[in-house]
Order: sequence, then C-alpha cells, then structure tokens
Amino acid sequence: MLAYMIRRLLYVIPVAFGVSVICFMLVHIAPGDPLTAVMPIDATAEQQAAMRAEYGFDRPLPVQFGIWLGNALQGDLGSSIATGRPVAAEVRRAVGNTLILAFTASLIGFPLGIFFGFVAGTFKDTLIDRAVTALAITGVSVPNYWLGIVLVAVFSVTLGWLPSTGAGPGGSTAWAWDIEHLRFILLPAITLAVVPMGIVTRTVRALVGDILSQDFVSALEAKGLSGTGVLRHVIRNVTPTTLSVVGLQLGYLLGGSILIETVFNWPGTGFLLSNAIFQRDLPLLQGTILVLALFFVFANLLVDLAQPLVDPRIKRG
Amino acid sequence: MSDTSTTTLGRAEGRVAGHAAAEQAPARSKGYWSGVGSRLLRDPVAMLCAALLGLLLLAVIFAPYLPLADPFTGSMISRLKPLGTPGHLLGTDELGRDMLARLIYGGRLTLMLGLLPVIFAFVIGTGLGVVAGYVGGWLNTAIMRTVDVFFAFPSILLAIAISGALGAGIVNSLVSLTIVFVPPITRVAESVTASVRSLEYVDAARISGAHPLTVVRVHVLGNVMSPIFVYATSLTSVSMILAAGLSFLGLGVKPPEPEWGLMLNTLRTAIYINPVLAALPGAMIFLTSLCLNLLSDGLRSAMNIKD
Amino acid sequence: MFLKPLRQAVLAVATVALFSTSALAAGTLRIGMTASDIPLTTGQTDQGGEGMRFMGYTVYDSLINWDLSSADKPSTLTPGLATEWSTDPEDRTKWTFKLREGVKFHDGSDFTADAVVWNLDKLLNDKSEQYDTRQAAQGASRIPSIASYKVIDPLTVEIVTKQPDATLPYQIAWIMFSSPANWEAQDKSWEKVAAHPSGTGPWKLESFVPRERAELVPNLDYWDKTRVPKLDKMVLIPLPEPNARSSALLSGQVDWIEAPAPDLVPALEGNGFKIVSNTYPHNWTYHFSRLEGSPWNDINVRKAANLAVDRAGLKQLLGGLMVEAKGFMPPSSQWFGKPEFDVRYDPEAAKEYLAKAGYGPDKPLKVKALISPSGSGQMLPLPMNEFIQQNLAAIGIDVEFEVVEWNTMINIWRAGAADPSAQGAQSINFSYFIQDPFTGLIRHLSCDLIAPNGTNWGHYCDPEMEELFKKIRTTFDPAEQDEVLRKTHEKYVNDALFLFVAHDVAPRAMSPKVKGFVQAQNWFQNFSGITIEE
Repeated sequence: MLAYMIRRLLYVIPVAFGVSVICFMLVHIAPGDPLTAVMPIDATAEQQAAMRAEYGFDRPLPVQFGIWLGNALQGDLGSSIATGRPVAAEVRRAVGNTLILAFTASLIGFPLGIFFGFVAGTFKDTLIDRAVTALAITGVSVPNYWLGIVLVAVFSVTLGWLPSTGAGPGGSTAWAWDIEHLRFILLPAITLAVVPMGIVTRTVRALVGDILSQDFVSALEAKGLSGTGVLRHVIRNVTPTTLSVVGLQLGYLLGGSILIETVFNWPGTGFLLSNAIFQRDLPLLQGTILVLALFFVFANLLVDLAQPLVDPRIKRG
Repeated sequence: MSDTSTTTLGRAEGRVAGHAAAEQAPARSKGYWSGVGSRLLRDPVAMLCAALLGLLLLAVIFAPYLPLADPFTGSMISRLKPLGTPGHLLGTDELGRDMLARLIYGGRLTLMLGLLPVIFAFVIGTGLGVVAGYVGGWLNTAIMRTVDVFFAFPSILLAIAISGALGAGIVNSLVSLTIVFVPPITRVAESVTASVRSLEYVDAARISGAHPLTVVRVHVLGNVMSPIFVYATSLTSVSMILAAGLSFLGLGVKPPEPEWGLMLNTLRTAIYINPVLAALPGAMIFLTSLCLNLLSDGLRSAMNIKD
Repeated sequence: MFLKPLRQAVLAVATVALFSTSALAAGTLRIGMTASDIPLTTGQTDQGGEGMRFMGYTVYDSLINWDLSSADKPSTLTPGLATEWSTDPEDRTKWTFKLREGVKFHDGSDFTADAVVWNLDKLLNDKSEQYDTRQAAQGASRIPSIASYKVIDPLTVEIVTKQPDATLPYQIAWIMFSSPANWEAQDKSWEKVAAHPSGTGPWKLESFVPRERAELVPNLDYWDKTRVPKLDKMVLIPLPEPNARSSALLSGQVDWIEAPAPDLVPALEGNGFKIVSNTYPHNWTYHFSRLEGSPWNDINVRKAANLAVDRAGLKQLLGGLMVEAKGFMPPSSQWFGKPEFDVRYDPEAAKEYLAKAGYGPDKPLKVKALISPSGSGQMLPLPMNEFIQQNLAAIGIDVEFEVVEWNTMINIWRAGAADPSAQGAQSINFSYFIQDPFTGLIRHLSCDLIAPNGTNWGHYCDPEMEELFKKIRTTFDPAEQDEVLRKTHEKYVNDALFLFVAHDVAPRAMSPKVKGFVQAQNWFQNFSGITIEE
C-alpha cells in the first residue's frame, strides 16, 4: 500500500507538467494579438511593439515557455495585461473567495445529498424514493446559471430578502462568518450546491439500495442484527464510493462556479476568469486555469490516497 | 455546475460501467438486446421522455417546413409580447421576433452542439481507447498519460479555457467540447478493450494469427461499442448544458443565430418585465436535459448496468 | 482670563458637532460602474471614458480641466492646475502655462513646475526613471503634438509643439498629474503607488480591492472650494453585467448605476428610481469606406441612406435613451453650425436620391457592413443595426452584416478599410468619443491619418477638408477656432460623410436618496455637489 501511495504521489509530477503545458498553450492558440484589448484605441504601431516586448510576446515559443514555467515554479504567474498587476496576487485573492463559496456550498449540498440518498435508498421504490429521485434528477439537469437568475429575480428583487451581488457590504476583504455576510453567500451557495446535491443523492441512493438488496443483509437481519447494526454495515460499504464522488465534486465546486460567480458578481476565480475572457487578458486566463487545475489534481490525489484507507477491499501493489 | 458535476458522475460511472459491461460482454446476444428493448418499453418515464425528445427532434429537423414565423425578422413595435399574443403563441423576444420559431430553430443549434461533440468524441475516443487497450505497451502509456493530463481539468473549466482562448463561434465551441469529452470516452474504451482482449477466445484468435484489424473488428469492436455508446449517451445532456453555458457566457453561438443559451442571455433583462418569457429558453434547456437524463437512466436500468 | 479659551472650546465643539451632523447627512454614495475593474489609480487611467470619469477627474486634476458645472450647455475647458495659458504670437509652437499657486498633492507635497515636467516625462520620456509603460500607453497618444517642455520658474512651464497646434489645450486636458514625492515615498514603484496614489483632485483614494471596490473620501483641502465633496465617502463597484447592475440597484446594494439596460428603465422608474441622462459628445455611426469601388463614394447614396433611417423609431427601441442625430456632432454642440442638408427621416426623398445614383427597390444596392455584438459605447448594437438594416432595405439598400467581436472590430478599425481583415466591408459601425476638435473631427478624415497610420478608417482625403483642419490647428483665438469648427462640421453634414444615427445620453439610474447631481454634457462628471438623504 505504501508503494502505491508513493507511486501515486510521484505521478502528480508529470500530470502537473502536462497541465502547465496546456495552460501555456492557451495563450498561443488564441487568435490575434493578446494585447489588443488593452491598448488604447489610438495606439501607434511603435507603442504596440513596445508593449509586446514589455510582455515578452516577441520571443520564440519554447523560450517563452521556459521563462513562464520557471517563474510559475517560483509563484510568479506574470502580469495581467488589463491591469498590470501580478496574476498570482489576483488569483490568490480570488481562490480565497471561491473557497469560501465552495465550502459553504458543500456544507449545503453534501449533507443534504447524503441524507436524501440514504432515505431514498432505504425506501427504494416507494413514493418517498420517487420524490427524492425526481428532486435529484432535477438538480442534475437544471442549468444552474439559469437557476441563479431566477433566484435573484425572486428573492432579491421581488421579495427583497437577500442581496443579489457581491461578497458582503464591504467587499470580500471584510469577509466574516456572521449573519450579515451569510446573507450575501446564501443564494450563490444554494445555486452552486444544487448539482452536487443531485449527484451525491443519486450515488448514495444507488449504493444504499444495492447493499440493502443483497442477500447477506437479509441474512443478517434474519439473524437478528439490530437496525443500527445494519446501518453500520451499510455506512461502511457506502463510504468509499461516496468519498470519491464527494472528493471529485469538491474539485468541481472550486473550478466549476464560473457561471454562478458571474451571475452573482462573486469575486472568486470564476468571476476573475470570465473577466479575463472578456478582456482577452490571456496571462490572467492562463494563471487562473493553472491554479484551478492544480487544485483539482490535488483534490484527486487526496481522494486516491484516502481511498485504500477507508476501503479495506482495495489492496493495491 | 450541473454540467461538470454530471460529467464527474459520468466519469465515475464510466469506469464502473465499462467494467460491468465488459464482464457481461461475452454473454451478449440478440436475446439480450430484445430484452433491453422490452424492458425499456415497459418504463413509462423513459418512454415519455423518448417521445418528447423525438417530438422535439422532429420539430427541429423539419422546422423549415413548419408553419412558423421567420426567426430572424421581427418588429420593434411588438417587442417582448407576452405568451398567447395572437400570431405569437409564445410571445416575442427583445427584438420582436417570434419566440416559438426561435425556440424551435434555437433547438437546432443547441441540440447540435449537444450531440456533435459527443459523436466526434465517441469516434475519436473509441479509436484512441481501442488502440491503446489492444496494442498496449508504450502506445498505451503515451495515449493514456496524455488523457490523464486532460482529466486533470474539471470539464467546464477545460471547455471555458479553450473556448475563451479561441474566441466565440460555433466551430470553436465544437472543438472545445469535443476535446472535453474525448478523455473520458477514451478511458472507458481503453478499459473495456483491455478486458475484452484478455478474454480467452479473443486471445485465441490473436494467437492463431488472425490479422489484428480483423480481430479488432470482429471481436473487440463488437463487444466494446455498446458500453461506450451507453456511456456516451449519458454525456449528451452534459454536453448540451455546457454548450448553452458557453453561449450564455458569450463564448458560443453568435447573435443573431437563435440558440437557447444565447437567448437565455439576451432575454435576461426581460426577467423583470416578462418573467415567464425570459424563463422559456432556460426551461427548454432544463426540460431537454431532464429528458435526456431520464432516458439515459431508463436505458441503463434496462441494460442492467448499475449506477 | 479663561473666557477666551472657553469660548474657543465651545466653538470647536459646536463646529465638530455641526460638521459631523452634516457629514452624517451627506453619507456614502455607492456607484455600480460598467467597467469590470477599478480603473488604473496611478494617474493616467485606463477603462476609457469611464476610467477618467471615476478615477481621473476625481483623484487628479489636469492643467486644464473640463467645466462640469452645467447641464444646460456643452461643457468647455476651464483653468485647472494652470490658471492661464497662451502661445507666443511670434512662434506659435511655444506655449506658456502659468501654474496655480499653493496647490498641494494629497501627500502634502507642493504642486510645482517640476512636477509638471516630471509627469510629462512619466508619459513621454522612456529614459526617465519614472517612465511608466502603463500610464504612457494610456496618455502618450493623447498629446501627439508635444515636442518638448521645460521649467521656466517654479510656477511657469513652457511646452513646445511639433508644429503650430491650437488644439493643444484639449490634448492637455487628458493629462493627469500624480505626485512625484509620493512616488519616491512608495519606493519608486508604480505598483505601490497604485495602492496609495496621490493627486491634487477633490477626492482621495482611501482604499481599493482590485475588481471589487474603491473607496474615495473628500480632499477637504481641495483648491477649488466649490468642488470640495459634500459626501463622506464614494464607493466605486465594478458591475460589468447589466443585469447584475440593475439587480444591485433594485436590491439596494448600490445607490447609483451607470448605463441601465433600456428595457429595465420602466421597471426601475416603477420602483421609484430616478433616471438621469443628458446629451454628451458621443456618436454612433457607420463610418464609410471611401476606397475606390465603394458605393458610398456617391453623395446621392450617402444622402439616401441618411434620409432612410427612422431615428424616432430607433429612439423608441432604446426607451427614449438617445438623441436623434442631425449630424456628426450632437445638435446641441457648440460646433454644430448651420448645415444645409437636413438629416431627417424621409424615405421618399431617400428613394429619389438613390434613383439618381441608379439604384432602387427593383435594382437594390448591395453593401457589406461590419458590426459587433457588443462594445464600449456601442449602445445596443445588434437591435439597432437590425433596425437600420430594415430601414435601408425599405428604400433599396440591402445590407449584409459581417458580425465580428468587439476586440476584432477595434483591430479592423485600426487597420483601415483597405486591410484584408475588413473583408471588403464598405462601412464599419463604430461609436466615437467626440469631445474635442481632434477626436471629434480631425482624426476621422485627415489625409495624413489614413489607417493604419492613423484613425481615418475610410481613407477619405479631400483638399478642402484638409484646409479646414489646418485652419483649426492654426486658429489660436478660441472664438474664431469655434467658428472654423462649425464650418468643418457643416461640411461633414452637407457632404453626408457618415451615416448619422444616434448620440448616447449616458443614462444613469439612481436612488431617490441621491441629491444634487448635475449631469454635465461631458464624458466626465463632477461628484462634489452630491449628497445622500436618509
């Protein structure tokens, strides 16, 4: 098992390298001049050339990649074209905000999903099961960017209960876990949590139903095993797969809130990314994607490392 | 993200589904398929969804022959008319164009952007996966490790990154979505192929000197296609939501083409004026994706594949 | 003995009490901007006109400012950090600027002639220590005429232009002056200055979080006492998404938004919000290609198109939020003049003109036009263009659109009509900042500015026009210069050199609590007189 874990750890290196190659290439598959969007409309050809040199876009590709990777390893992701500010600082701030949102969404989505899944799995093929399944498949099928708009229209504008944009009355720098700020996070977090909730519900329902339908459970029950005993048995068998699905979802919550953050003006990575796309701020696009992808690689790594610990059936080299 | 997360599920399932299908592969016969068919027919939800999707597909394909208003011309005087306006059953959009016509024509692009990337990815991914799984060795390593790198990106992130770099446009959306779906399909194809290859009779055919292409065609593809196909269908709704999401962000279809995601975006401001109208394109995406998921669930349970 | 100190104390307490109550009443104004980021804070701003509006003319001053005090007349130049300026009648390239005495930057250092030269070096001299590519990229192209500059005495600066150019004051009005002492104090790093900028303007930047918010507080020592802000604080919040902007206003998270979506105006008004708008020097036009073979070379075709557009209908589409164009400049402009060609909606006359050119409904003229789905100042480009397309089709001009992204469009606009990227299109739908003689008139049609060397997209070149441009640059008396500008604009209209469509009115929606805002006919605005009533 130790050998497996070490191999899994080392395997992160080539993947991370591959990820960085793809991120680097993003700027170079882009058509046109990456500096277009930010140059003043009347800029002369000389001014354009000077700016290009300033950003190093005049050098050959492999050289640019070498420099970029070297800097990235030292935590320098270059400068945003639109603002001139270091990308790393922008991304760091945005990742913090995205983490807050993703964390809140996971507090809503995962417990609910697991609970619903258990209920539906236990009462499989009953009315409760059908209701929960319908809820779950709705969650999986709804375009959540649309759901977000609808929630804003209803709860912010029509009813006036909750704020519609931003991360608090004083912006994200003053973030605190108090009522005032939770009011701001509630709508985006619910919107973001809908899909993971649906997926976790479906997974847990299937697993629980599966285990309960197996003969040995009936046998255990017949032998007089108590309800809690059966429950313990079910939990033990459901945990590994649920953990892996939750882990993957966590990674997706981090990176996948792009549209939600745009709808709610939440100052996270998704918001940063959509700004980067509209301003064609490619270094910012590149840096944000790189950091998010590495987060995801890391989340997958944790899940894979944790898997053999919770699942005694898996015995790897 | 509905899209991404469903993919996660798809991926997680994909691995399981692949193995399960491979295990039962040799047992497959005509009887099996007719069994699947009759089980599916007895599933009312799946059949309802299939009917709705079929109807939508027909409407979309034969849109030019339907008695519809021109989806491109409108009149400024009749902007944002409510549902049930005479001559405009579903009202008019922000440019006074007929919503019914635009929703049906819009379905063309949205469904196309949902289906084509999956079909492309199905062809490319199956090819790559079968080659990797059958040939093995360094070729397998090369293909599968490259796939791993793409797997390191959450799917929505990868789609937005590529589309964001390439810029808006239908072709760019197709390219980026195809790239997103090739890796998961390749993985399923590879694992199924690898397990089929080790089956005794395939192995025997190989050792007996049959041409590799013949072995692949006769023994491998026959066994491998259906599990991959089932998996690919489950990706269609993801693909559609993702494509509409790209258009919603301004990265997909360009105006004035009708497309549900783009319509959702351009009608956003109308949500305070005519909420029902503004909600229509989103509702179409939702209902279609719901039907696709329900149908895929039905297919899955009819084929006895466990989630 | 102790009566005097006691009196003073009482007075002080009273003053503080008075001040604090008035401060409370003045309150905080939160503005939702359309920019997606806080504009560059170091001096010369980015984010176009909006950047200058919120981070330029607030935190900084120019030597010559725009007079933003009136909503009723076109705004003109007014003394800023310079109290007077003049050219040498012997050598018209030599300008002398007398600086305002006793002006201090926010960091307490003095504004002097040295600071002026230091700031010009910041933009123009890449050998200087303080040269800043970011500010230079925004500012250098604004002052193309400047050849050299020097300190004459602590309160006098001399600027020499490359050739006589009477439009220099308008160019200078772009340039913002940041504190040299502050730059030294921030370790000579513009990056650090960005977080702690120092200008001379009526507002001080208190804090900012990139992409989220900037907080400005009054500069109580501002040199122009009439422009000391009454508010306690002004908060700028980037809200690029129009829907998010409106929701933020409706749910009370901001008090003011820039550019509400026209469709939402009735809903906003219904909820008690005020819509404020005013004409300003902006125009939304089709810039014609004048290359050989372009149908727009025929004045009859140009006039026909201009008479075919139903601007009143267009205005209705925009919820009333536009000014119907009667020429290149808004009708209220001081440079509008009295053109003979009346730009109006008259499809019959349009058909006659088109018939003279040999086209009509039976023999339609086919033209190709570049449009973009979005873009700064482009208002609602798609609906507007589709509307115009219908109008022109009605008289026999079939317009085929080439839809390109805004950034691509900018590139095509820079490259000119002859560039392959224009794909043979015979017009480009662009919106222009037309606040001064150069940006308003000269740059679009001057022979030596033909793209890609300049911004004359359509390759127009006409000796008569050239003569007028020269006269603008060499008429140093402002009143006489205005007269030449009127003549120039009359020629613009009489020759129907553009498709004159609309002028934006810079709509803003604000809560009824916001009092005292006067919307000047300008891209920039004065926020000093505003108060918030609870």
